[in-house]
Amino acid sequence: MWIQPKDLLLPSPFWIAEMYSKYFVLQKRRGHGESRGFGSMLVGTFDSVMSTKPAPYRILHQTPSSEVSYEIAIGLTQDEIVKDWEWLQTNLFSVLNEMENEEEVTNFTICKIQSLYAQNNQDDTGESPDFKVMTSQFRKIFKMPEEERLVNSYSATYVKNKIPRQGQLYISLNHVCFYSYLLSEEIKRIIRFAELEDISRSGKTIYLKTTNNMTYNFTLIFNASKAHALIEQLNKMAIQKLIQDPESPVVDHDTSNYTRFATKMSKEPVLLRDLTARQKSEEFRVYFRLPQTEIIDGKIKADIWTPYSKRFHAGYIYLSPNFFCFRSDVKDLVSLVIPMKTIKSVEKKDDGQQRYDNQIVIFSSDNVPFMFSKIVDREVLISKITDLLSRIHIPVSRERAKYDISWSKQTALLNTFKTQFSPDIQKKQEQKLARWEDHFRDFGRGIAMFRTTDVINLIVEGIPDKLRQEIWLIFSGAIHDKEMNPGLYEDLVEKAACIKNSFVHDEIDRDLPRSLPEHPAFQCTDGIGALRRVLQAYALRNPQVGYCQAMNIVSSVFLLFCDEENAFWMLAALCENLLPDYYQDKIVGAQIDQGVLNELVATHLSDLHEHLERLGVIKMISISWFLTIFISVISYESSLQILDCFFYEGAKIIFMISLQIIEWNRDKLLDCQDDGEAMLVLQTYLEGIYNPEYQVPPPTDKRRQERPQTQTVQTLIYEAYTKFGAELTQQRIEELRNKHRRLTVRQFDIDNEKTIVKAHVQNPYFERLELHTLLTIIREEKLVLKSVQQQQKTQSLSEAPQLQHHQSPARDIMPGGGSGRHEAYSVNYEVFHTLFSELTPWRKCVSVDIAEKLFRLTDKKGTGQLDFGQLVNALGLVCSNKSTEKLKLLFVLHLPPLLSKAEIERTRRPRPRTKDDAEEAIEAEDFFDDDASESIEALPSPSDQNFDADDFALISATQHLHNLAGISGNTFMDLSRTPNLSLNSNASSLAHRNSTFYVDLPGAAGLAGLSGTATRTDAGQEDDYDIGLHQQGRYESIDTFSDISDLGAARMTPPTTAGAASAAAAGSNAATAAEQMLLNVETISNFSQISDLVAATRLDRADSNATDTRSLGSLGYLLDQPSEGAAGGHSPVPHMRKENFQLLWRSIIEIMGCVQDEDMRRAYENLIELGNSNIKKEPSLESFTQLNLAGSGDEQPDNNGNPTTPAAEPSSTTRLFIALEEELRQAKAAAAGGGAAATTRTTNTTSSGSSSSTNISDGWHISIKQFIATALTCECIEKAFQTSTRIVEQIEQLQKKRRKCLSTNYNY
Amino acid sequence: MASRKKSLLKVIILGDSSVGKTSLMNQYVNKRFSNQYKATIGADFCTKEVVVNDRVVTMQIWDTAGQERFQSLGVAFYRGADCCVLVYDVTAPNSFKNLDSWRDEFLIQASPRDPEHFPFVVLGNKVDLDNRQVSTRRAQQWCQSKNDIPYYETSAKEGINVEMAFQTIAKNALEQETEAELINDFPDQIRLNSDNNRPGNTDNCQC
Repeated sequence: MWIQPKDLLLPSPFWIAEMYSKYFVLQKRRGHGESRGFGSMLVGTFDSVMSTKPAPYRILHQTPSSEVSYEIAIGLTQDEIVKDWEWLQTNLFSVLNEMENEEEVTNFTICKIQSLYAQNNQDDTGESPDFKVMTSQFRKIFKMPEEERLVNSYSATYVKNKIPRQGQLYISLNHVCFYSYLLSEEIKRIIRFAELEDISRSGKTIYLKTTNNMTYNFTLIFNASKAHALIEQLNKMAIQKLIQDPESPVVDHDTSNYTRFATKMSKEPVLLRDLTARQKSEEFRVYFRLPQTEIIDGKIKADIWTPYSKRFHAGYIYLSPNFFCFRSDVKDLVSLVIPMKTIKSVEKKDDGQQRYDNQIVIFSSDNVPFMFSKIVDREVLISKITDLLSRIHIPVSRERAKYDISWSKQTALLNTFKTQFSPDIQKKQEQKLARWEDHFRDFGRGIAMFRTTDVINLIVEGIPDKLRQEIWLIFSGAIHDKEMNPGLYEDLVEKAACIKNSFVHDEIDRDLPRSLPEHPAFQCTDGIGALRRVLQAYALRNPQVGYCQAMNIVSSVFLLFCDEENAFWMLAALCENLLPDYYQDKIVGAQIDQGVLNELVATHLSDLHEHLERLGVIKMISISWFLTIFISVISYESSLQILDCFFYEGAKIIFMISLQIIEWNRDKLLDCQDDGEAMLVLQTYLEGIYNPEYQVPPPTDKRRQERPQTQTVQTLIYEAYTKFGAELTQQRIEELRNKHRRLTVRQFDIDNEKTIVKAHVQNPYFERLELHTLLTIIREEKLVLKSVQQQQKTQSLSEAPQLQHHQSPARDIMPGGGSGRHEAYSVNYEVFHTLFSELTPWRKCVSVDIAEKLFRLTDKKGTGQLDFGQLVNALGLVCSNKSTEKLKLLFVLHLPPLLSKAEIERTRRPRPRTKDDAEEAIEAEDFFDDDASESIEALPSPSDQNFDADDFALISATQHLHNLAGISGNTFMDLSRTPNLSLNSNASSLAHRNSTFYVDLPGAAGLAGLSGTATRTDAGQEDDYDIGLHQQGRYESIDTFSDISDLGAARMTPPTTAGAASAAAAGSNAATAAEQMLLNVETISNFSQISDLVAATRLDRADSNATDTRSLGSLGYLLDQPSEGAAGGHSPVPHMRKENFQLLWRSIIEIMGCVQDEDMRRAYENLIELGNSNIKKEPSLESFTQLNLAGSGDEQPDNNGNPTTPAAEPSSTTRLFIALEEELRQAKAAAAGGGAAATTRTTNTTSSGSSSSTNISDGWHISIKQFIATALTCECIEKAFQTSTRIVEQIEQLQKKRRKCLSTNYNY
Repeated sequence: MASRKKSLLKVIILGDSSVGKTSLMNQYVNKRFSNQYKATIGADFCTKEVVVNDRVVTMQIWDTAGQERFQSLGVAFYRGADCCVLVYDVTAPNSFKNLDSWRDEFLIQASPRDPEHFPFVVLGNKVDLDNRQVSTRRAQQWCQSKNDIPYYETSAKEGINVEMAFQTIAKNALEQETEAELINDFPDQIRLNSDNNRPGNTDNCQC
């Protein structure tokens, strides 16, 4: 990278020369790369301590006789610098050699480099080269992805173990990072903004505390306050992203917008400038109540001439594209907002007396002059204003679609429903009106009035009815939004009217008569209709908020005084500016402010605080106070006056009044024993507040009349201002809000996690604590992913999306609306992959991407998301000590087509996807040709992008395997189940068994892993059916299997009801089952454990209802599956191919840590041999294919609703168990004997009576139970698989790694 | 948590928006019906002295907001509840369907010690209206399936069954109270500010 040439006086010892030429030298900084000597360590420390951080490579230009050398290029990598070097070689070396004068050489070189530098930086972001170096170092040190943009970095000290470490604090968009290198000891810390729980600063030290209770402190000699403010700002942004759905902002706050307004010449990094501009704009907007789209352009010092006092006041002029504002240095003395479009002219004015220099006069469209003086740079200001004026965009009413809806805008309802004042009050209103008229004469009227303390005084006394609309609109800022969006309201109303069957509209309709029912205007259609239109239009404008109760109440008051379009814009100002996030999902904003109020009580009414905290009162009262701005708790006429102040002061007034009311009731509250009493005290007091200056006719609600009057609202407001007005500043509220925003969001997480843990606490794998930790890590991982994705998105929007790292199979992880508590913790493929590879013992497996297989297997419905239950099951099993189950799972994971041929090829010789794969895919697709309908259903898969035929086949196959392994979510349903085996329960029902038993997974403890196969007799189907259903014991035997599966919603059904219920259910489900069974013929024949599913499914079906058909159905069709049906043109089963098996074995070896002992080798050979012998004995092991299905096969084609007879196994668990034991012994003996003969024996046993119709196309073949039995003969395998993994430790390690950046932060 | 005298019963009314929770409460407490109630924001509150089993007890009735987004606030109100009244509107099938989630939500947030036997009472309100859509049988079935929750059909407007329903509520609440005090806080509560004892800088790391 060429840089502006810099002269250097001394050759530095920190650099080693790598290449020389006559005039140039390429140097490399010590401490980078290979050289590990003391010198390089020293340089590293020096760099870290001095925070010099130069780029590792540079090129200097020097002439032999000169002491001075010039740095002309720097490089972050060798390649980069060598490129520059080569350019020099080709372009400059020869030219320079011809020159004689060294001075000439230098001049020429520098000139050349300068032009190169200028050329290269034309389309640059404007970052200084230093900052670019810093950014790249930041990314390198912390392994951050390209998307993570560095904002700034500061030199800082971090105290660890009481030893201060000097280093560098990096602040990027999503992280605070620290790096220090002190005499070969490296320290790295990474803290995410979204996980900060507390941020504070005392003096030069910044304290940070994260949600998992890590604390950090960084001392910054310089810039501590700047860094603190920056951290606060970025944290706020991060938390707000959590609160608001960034996908659909009402007003787009893209950071990139700010770029062009930031001062170009500043030396600060671009992003920092953006952020500063953003912060300033926000303050500017809040102060002047301007629309959210306004971005500050600049400010300039000036004095303003105020005609009412006939003098000048010092302050600042602020400019933004649509507004010219002024704010006095003395707080609240005077401020002014002039919309640009009303500015008619700007003139220079020079008094003869020269008393006031540099004056300008601005004339508004009403020819009102505004005079400013002492403007430092008058010319610039004028040209700036002219420029802004020329660019001003006056919005015109848009062309809009015509809807067939007739309506007319309602004017202020009070025009029709006049308030009948008593003569006294009438007189008071007129007096007030007269005073306002006076005020307008002196201070101006409309938006561009001089806003002074006088106007506050007038407002506090109450605005007369006639002026309310005008004043409210101006001070709430609603008028600006309205003027910028002409026609929008009409458009929204008509669009909303066309929406049918909307839930939001139902909610609105229900509340219309419950808004301001005591007012006659809302007892007739005029008011109700207008209210409906306003609320519906707003719900359409801001779908994130939609409709929240309380909006109806405030809107109805607006409608009394304003015409409906104005009321709409006031509502918009309320929801978007004045009470931010209040009406969102979970009313976040109000809950945040509740925390703020709580803290304010603690500061200002400290004696009361503890008591109130104990009663939990503030949480109860504040919601109605905040959300309705007291309208629902104080009499209507009193609340109006609070509302007047509210539009001027914003949320501050709510806090002041709340504090005042609590203060006034101090003694009574202290006497309260419980929350109810306290509520009653406050409720009574509030209802007694009255407004003697605005008495409407007696309220219809009689309850109210009974209340004794307590205090006038005027006193309330006055006292509140005197006592708390000065201390409560907007800035302080904002600071407190930042803090409580963090705490509130954190509390949501805690609550959610608690609930989820409660729901899953009975899972077979994890303890409560483990679940909590798991949820924490999921949340953290999702945060990482979210921020990365958002940045990727922003980047791609703002051009230059060069880096498309990964072909991510991700779908959008934002749960729609985010309301579902459980959705918030469902994981997508990326997160799952990270968790799997960081936490489980199977991460060691590298040949096969087990995580991916497991995800597909677990994601039964192909949603691309695993819910928490599914995740617990998947990770839980892998981490558990259930060796047989784990082996079984591993086996399934390596089956084709989950592990496709193509993939096997790939593992053999890694290469990118080519045509061959496509061919494989076609083959695979053929393989599942008949499953098309099923597959389509299953289409949504983790791999949405890059979806090809291969994937297609995989997915369809995956569906089958789901059924095989039976892993699924839905664990909420089967909390009642725990693995148990009551073996004696059903010994009697052995009667007509004619079945083959399989050894399947006898568990080490003799408890787990019993999972047998049962068959049914081929006679007396109905009878068998019933008997089968009554087999409690049989069912329980399944439970071991359901450790990994949850079998849909297999609840324990009382045996007595099961039969009856299922008989009924069978009929209704038969049609579905029959349809589906066609598709899945092949799956059944291969795996013995299917029969478990079969039986379980039967029970499932027994108590399934219509809503479960999808989840149960997928298992349900297995039930009636006749393998003979396969003869009807169905494809052969996915069975274990040799290649797959080899990979499976390799995975095992990898899981065991890449060691293979003699036992294992023998077992492997046995299995291979076994596979071969299985071919010879063509009738395969899939003996249970004939089990139940021989008989029902006849009925299989009957898919017109007749119950296809479900197979019933009057199996006895006892018998089964014995048989299993027997078989296991044999198998073990066989394996131990190591002889082929023994193997054959096993095969014989297991395949006895089998009459497979399956075509084994491939030849080699083994069954799952052979595999497991043999594998378990190896002690080391058994041991390895019986070891459980402590998930908490794993998670803690991962968190530590993340914090210290020991591993890559992002897995792509 | 306030220490409560035995003679105080805390009753929570839950149910969808506009099923008549506020009206029921006011009908019972003030013997009055009005169609001029505002939608309840946050929660409303009334007390009434009642005689149950010859004992005078104070009944604290908490009327809550029905809109879903207010549910997350529930925990502030639910704690220490002795009985939970689930209300639905017999003319609105959805409000009946949502009883399940209201019940679950209550049990999750209030965490009573014995969730299986926590006293609930279900009220099917607005029976005075003609367009009834949820049959008595269906409601009864649901109640039976949930451990035989007592079920009443009421009309807050006409005052039908209101008194009787609340008598049952009071009775069951009282039984609950004598049987077992509720656990008010979650056993595994995580305190946000519990970490102040950690001095200065700690990183929990040994390296």
